[in-house]
This record gives sequence, structure tokens and C-alpha cells, in this order.
Amino acid sequence: MKKVMILCAAVLFSQAVAAETYQDAFNKARAMYGKGHEFQWQGKTYQTLHEEEIEADVDATEANAKALLEKAVAANKKVADVGFEWKLTGGLLKQSAQAIDAGDYRKALDLAAQAKYHARIGFAQYGYAQANWIKAVPQ
Amino acid sequence: MRIITGLVTVGMLSLGLPLQAADSGFNLETVNPEADRLALQAFYKKRYPDVKIEDYVNGIYALDAESHEQWQEIEEFPPYEFSIEEGEVLFNAPFANGKTYADCFENGGIGIRQNFPYWDKEDGTVKTLEYAINECREDNGDKPLKWGKGDIARISAYMAWTSRDNVFEIQIPQDDSRALQAYLDGKKFFYTKRGQLNLSCANCHLQGSNIRIRADLPGPMLGQVTHWPVFRSKWGNLGTLHRRYAGCHRDSRSKPLKPQAEGFRNLEYFQTYMSNGLVVNGPGARK
Repeated sequence: MKKVMILCAAVLFSQAVAAETYQDAFNKARAMYGKGHEFQWQGKTYQTLHEEEIEADVDATEANAKALLEKAVAANKKVADVGFEWKLTGGLLKQSAQAIDAGDYRKALDLAAQAKYHARIGFAQYGYAQANWIKAVPQ
Repeated sequence: MRIITGLVTVGMLSLGLPLQAADSGFNLETVNPEADRLALQAFYKKRYPDVKIEDYVNGIYALDAESHEQWQEIEEFPPYEFSIEEGEVLFNAPFANGKTYADCFENGGIGIRQNFPYWDKEDGTVKTLEYAINECREDNGDKPLKWGKGDIARISAYMAWTSRDNVFEIQIPQDDSRALQAYLDGKKFFYTKRGQLNLSCANCHLQGSNIRIRADLPGPMLGQVTHWPVFRSKWGNLGTLHRRYAGCHRDSRSKPLKPQAEGFRNLEYFQTYMSNGLVVNGPGARK
């Protein structure tokens, strides 16, 4: 009986430990505290900032805005090529370009960052789908 | 002790079930359309044991009594009725070369809706009814119609009307593995999550069928394609299945394919195969 209990506990504990990846810790902290919050993972301190938010946190210059927009366009092309482009991304890219034309580089950076985030997560979604779509099929 | 050991064993096995399921129908070597179709029917039989399989041609109206009542009232004066008549006129109107649509289709285009979509071996692609209608126009020197609504939906409606109660019998030719690949691609498309809301077709129309999304009840996947084209109250006119596909994708914040793109045609191929054995009941009326 004891052996069985130990076995159950071992299985459950190992799953709980394995579940706490960096991404899980990030997502949990981000969901609870929003962006810019510090959190700990495996003894180190991190911030709840998406990589695009870090990229957009630069001087609001034309060159920086154009550079981030270019990255966002490339990321969106990558996800579109595999058929996983999100609906709003194209509009965000367009608005970012318009903001550059209007000289509003802060707005352009923020919009490009959003678009790049959409594209990055869309591509991750594609990767997840390749491995997991079958799980929803009735057998 | 034995009981506990047995429970643990069952528990451990159940953890492995999703992986085991993933071994079946995942690739060209293992995909089995007939097994998929029967498994889908079994899914709905288990979920709604009192609903007859043949009633799924009525979509959500087979599952929700209140919606069924409203729909029957609509069907007393079907909103697609005039479209069928207009479709008949268009269908019989000759092209500039004197030929008509009847010259392009088997049996003069009458009573053939149940055979679409089909695998065209020569062109190596899935052809839907609307695709074939436009192909017919182009072969006879006319311009193709727009895919989503208007005349193409009317002609399709008339052709569906002449096929009412015919049983769907979609074929996947054994001698051309590309056909099975197209089916598999359609299946994969149906079960794949897309868009900002991270939804697959299956999320709403399999697991989510008859479960409220705000004020709407998504229809079941089984029988979902039998009643197209459809007069949707929301549209206020008749539209094609691919128009609806595009709308569904926009709703989940995914950038949709163009109507009649290969991905959507494969999706229709898969979905229609799943409805083999059910009858044509298009055109239909939906909310």
C-alpha cells in the first residue's frame, strides 16, 4: 500500500516540477502583474517584458522605428508563409508605417512591436499545431 | 491492494491515451477516412444519443429545440426560394458560344450536388461545385463569377435544389495518393488552432457544438456542409460555404484564405466526406 502511495506521489510531483518551465513562470507573472514586473525563476530574476517590448524601448527616432517595422514585416511574412497570419497584424503594420510618415515614431515603434509579437506568437502556434492537432480528433 | 494497484494502472494508462490516439490517422500511411467518419458519428451518438444521425443535416436545429422551432417558422417561407428560381434562369442561360452549364456537367448538371467536391486526377486538385461552375464559364469563354455570393451562389443553390435527398457519396480514389493527401490536409486544417483567439474549426463545431458562444450556438461538424449554399439572416442574402469559412476565420482573428483556395477546397473535401451517407438538403436558411 505504502509503495503504491509513494509511486502516486512521485508521478504527481515529477509532473508538477516538470511543468514549471521558464515560459510558464513568465506567463504566470505576466498574467498576474502585467508588464515590467520582476519575477524569480530557478534562482534568477527576470522581468515580465516581451522581447518586442524591449525592442520598442529605444529612442523614438525614424531609424529605430523603421528598423523595428522592418523586423515586424519579416516576422509576419514568415508566419504568413506557413498559413498562420493573424487578422489584425497587417493593419498594425500599415498603421506603423503611417505613423512613421507622420513623424510619430513612438507610436510607430509600439505598433510595430505589437505586430511583431502577433507574428511571433502566430509562428509558435504553427509549431504547436504541427505536433498537437491530432489530439482533438475523435478516435 | 489489488484494487488500488488496478486503479493506479488505469490512471497511468489514461495518461498515455492522448499519445496513443495520435498514432492513428496522423499521416498518409495511417489515415483512414472511413474510420474517421465512423468515429465522428460515434462521437455524436455518444454525446447526443437521442439525435438520429440523418437529422444532422439540419445542423444546430437537430440539437436545439428552440432554434429548431424558429427555423421551422423561417422555412414556411424560405428566404432562399427566389434565389433558386433566379439560379435556374442563370443555369439555363446560354453562353456567348451557345452552350450552357448543362454541357459541362454529368447528367446535364441536374441532381449531381452529392458528388461534389471531387478529386480531379488530371488537374491533381479538389474541385468544388462552385469551382466547377466557374471552370465551366471560363471553358466557354465567359468571365468567372465572384466566389462568395451573388450569381454563383444562386446557380449553386439551384443545382443543390435539384439534388435534394440525394445521398452524399464523396470518393477518395485509391489509385492516387494525392487525393488522400488532400483529404488529410483538410482534416488537419479542421483540427488545427489558428488566429489570435487560438481556435480550430473543431473547437467550435466539434467540442463546442451546441455550446453557447455569447448568443450563438455553433452547429455540429457532422452534416455541416450538406445544406449549402445558405441564406444567412446575418448576411441578408445567399452565400457560399467558402464565404462562411472566411467569416469563421475572421471571427477567430485569423487571416482567412481566399474562397476556393486549395486549403479551403481540401477542408470542404474532408468535411463532405465526413457527411457521406447524409442527404443533400441545400440550399438552407440559417441565422
